[in-house]
Amino acid sequence: MSHEKEALEEAKKINEEYHYLNTITDKPLEGHMHQGKLSGYTVSVKDAICVKDVETTGGSAILDGYKPVIDSTVSKKVKSQGGLIIGKTAQDAFGFGGFSVNVGIGKKIPLNPFDKERACGGSSGGCAGFTAKTNLKHVSLAESTGGSIVCPASFCGVVGLCPTYGRVSRYGLLDYGNSLDKIGPMGKNVKDTALLLEVISGFDSKESTCADVEVDEYSSFVGKDVKGMKIALIKECFGKGVNEKVAEQVNQAIEKLKEKGAVIEEVSLPLVSEYGLAVYYILAMCEASTNLAKYCGIRYGKMKDCTGKGFNEYFSEIRSENLNEESKRRIMIGTFARMAGFRDAYYIKAAKIRTKIISEYKEQFEKYDALICPTMPVIAPKFSEIEKMTPLENYMMDILTVGPNLAGLPHITIPTGKVDGMPVGTMLIADHFEEKKLVQLGSALE
Amino acid sequence: MKFTTDIVIGLEIHIELNTNTKLFCGCATKGSDEPNSRVCPVCLGHPGSKPVLNKKVVEFATKLGLAMNCKIDKELVFSRKSYFYPDLAKNYQITQYEQPLCKNGSMKLSNGKTIGITRIHVEEDPAALVHPGSIHGSNYVLIDYNRSGNPLCEIVTEPDMASPEEAREFMNKLITILEYLEIFDPDAIIKADANVSVKESGYIRSEIKNITGFKEIERALNYEVQRQKRAVADGEKLIQDTRSWDAEKGMSSRLRTKETEDDYGYIIDPDLVITDITDEFVKNIKDNMPELADEKMEKFKEHGIADDNAEIISKNKDLAKVYELLVKEIDADKVSKWARRDLMKAANYHKKNVADLDLEKVVPKFVSVLKAEISGEINAKIAFMGTSSIVEDPEFDVDKYIGDNKSQGDDSAIEGFVKEVISEQKENVSKYKAGEGKVLNFLVGQVMRKSQGKADAGKIKELLIKCLQ
Repeated sequence: MSHEKEALEEAKKINEEYHYLNTITDKPLEGHMHQGKLSGYTVSVKDAICVKDVETTGGSAILDGYKPVIDSTVSKKVKSQGGLIIGKTAQDAFGFGGFSVNVGIGKKIPLNPFDKERACGGSSGGCAGFTAKTNLKHVSLAESTGGSIVCPASFCGVVGLCPTYGRVSRYGLLDYGNSLDKIGPMGKNVKDTALLLEVISGFDSKESTCADVEVDEYSSFVGKDVKGMKIALIKECFGKGVNEKVAEQVNQAIEKLKEKGAVIEEVSLPLVSEYGLAVYYILAMCEASTNLAKYCGIRYGKMKDCTGKGFNEYFSEIRSENLNEESKRRIMIGTFARMAGFRDAYYIKAAKIRTKIISEYKEQFEKYDALICPTMPVIAPKFSEIEKMTPLENYMMDILTVGPNLAGLPHITIPTGKVDGMPVGTMLIADHFEEKKLVQLGSALE
Repeated sequence: MKFTTDIVIGLEIHIELNTNTKLFCGCATKGSDEPNSRVCPVCLGHPGSKPVLNKKVVEFATKLGLAMNCKIDKELVFSRKSYFYPDLAKNYQITQYEQPLCKNGSMKLSNGKTIGITRIHVEEDPAALVHPGSIHGSNYVLIDYNRSGNPLCEIVTEPDMASPEEAREFMNKLITILEYLEIFDPDAIIKADANVSVKESGYIRSEIKNITGFKEIERALNYEVQRQKRAVADGEKLIQDTRSWDAEKGMSSRLRTKETEDDYGYIIDPDLVITDITDEFVKNIKDNMPELADEKMEKFKEHGIADDNAEIISKNKDLAKVYELLVKEIDADKVSKWARRDLMKAANYHKKNVADLDLEKVVPKFVSVLKAEISGEINAKIAFMGTSSIVEDPEFDVDKYIGDNKSQGDDSAIEGFVKEVISEQKENVSKYKAGEGKVLNFLVGQVMRKSQGKADAGKIKELLIKCLQ
């Protein structure tokens, strides 16, 4: 059986049981090459990332049937390096969630590869679940706004790396919070993850926020000696709200780094610990509420008969019927926070604190190569537990991941041990464009 | 703000910059008019598309800002202005909000008054809505995105204008500046919103939206001033409102009052990076700025030409250019009169713009014609016909023309024609002698005919008068 066919069969089989893929690509794609750095790898792509001619919905029913006329820069690069794109993965609609349970209307919730009663994490849940479950060589194109790469990677026991903001072009990515969105790789191990990062990084003239910074050969940093590297554990990330057994696993990982000669100290990041979550949600929702405005049933996506209806009535119906509850919640909160009269108190203030949070981190990187903490405060929760959570408790899950996301700092999660049979992730955060250090330190934890 | 004038007017003017490509994508701004033929994922607002700034637009807008004596900001920041409307591809418009590119400018009117420029900012044009049939009669609308994303400049003035006439002069001067800077397509439609209030109401302001076309602006302002004055006279209490101008009906109607003012929920556009506007960039533009109409007018006046000629010529960039080339070789007064009358007349006759002339070819020919006229080699009529022929065909052989049409300087020949005419036109001659002075022109014409148009009209007249005494 050919590699393509084998991959397709396996994907279908896994999907029947776990619902990781919204769309399976069973036709050859334009621009796919057979040779390159990714030849032999299958690649899954988060549904929010455009792949030309393949249905791309961002996990929302409002885009059902939408086939992009463009390839995202990352999908183009993957195809040109021989990666075989096998499908678009399940996610919280538009990335709005941390468990991949906020899927679009009519879409299936992906199940944790270790326990089908539990969530994959989110919002790139399908990417992480599929990467964990497939037996083939596989990497995944995920995306993070406030933790959507490392959270599901941690819950599903794979490696996830969220790069520096601007490292990877966002061209072709459906926007959630444009100043926060980052496309990044997931893999079964650090080497695969680093390889995909190498392929997708670099300047892109089609995307204004993409940085013109030289791309390192990330995969060559796998296994490099970490002796003498200085790492600080973030005190606040081991305290209240963090499961003790999870913290214990992370502490063991820290010990492992120590044994390999890394120098470990402790730092405090009071500002980000106190305000990170609030600042993140205000900015992300403000931006999201403008980004989702374009989905109104006129040029693409879901449409219906508009006879006899005015524009306002028509688009309100389309949006009411096709956006899920969490999308509506974020549009409303985001619109509120940028309204005249509230804008200064929320949006403008949040933007100012964000700058201060970045400085708080930057100060640490004058002394340290990386910061370390648990990726998630808990192991993957059961669906029954999630159902009981309030929206606020839901948002609290991002407490450890929003910081580096707000500051645009690269971070990686490495599976380090298990609690109750479920994987635990250790997170390392590095300075801007220092992804190579994450690869180096991350591989030392494998 | 404390107002004192009877009428207070402020304008917000939208002009389309004539760059080749759109503000945030590579689509052409001009070309095929086939609906939705000049579009891409960016200007259609497709998922995943991202805007990339067209730097040429920044250059053009900076030019305009400098010409309007504005302060240019150190950085360029774009915001999203959110509102739902079918002509907006993303249901937000990328525009500038807190930090406009240009601010605190001014423009002087001919009465010496200074009109303050609050700000000039850059933004994208929405798509065009096409109502099959008429706007009121059709039950659906079509959207043409060809215009979506075209670069616009919005110019906001202080409420410094005290009459629709001042507003018209402001607009005239603005258009002249735009033409001099060559950043604007003269065929493009100018749109404006106007704030109008009158003393009688205690300056309760109405904002008139969607005034399309240069002439409509003055018309809408006149209407609005009269409407407000009449309303106060009728005992109505005005309230601040936003109104829409209906050009078909020639009247404005209320859209909303201030209480329901739109809230656009502005945020900084996170897809665009903040661009530094360096001193070097601004200096470079400043150094390459053309001389503008007002400066030219002053300079032309110094040449000793009539003030109105200086004004008319300087207002037309292309006419000014021809004048400047000719005045190097020919008397300024003569050139100014020729440019304003002969050249404009010839251009109108041939339905050409002065801008269309191939100056390298035609200017030396104009010089020859004018020199021949001044020296008396050819008469004024022959000179005008020469000018006209050159305008019509730049390859026109002007030397041969002058040679063929030399004035008959020989007085005796003309005198012969004069005598012939006097003997032929006995009736008219006696009319003239009886005091009917205008008959003289007819007699001049008769002599001119005999000279086959080559004689000098002044000379004929002189000889006729002498012989008829």
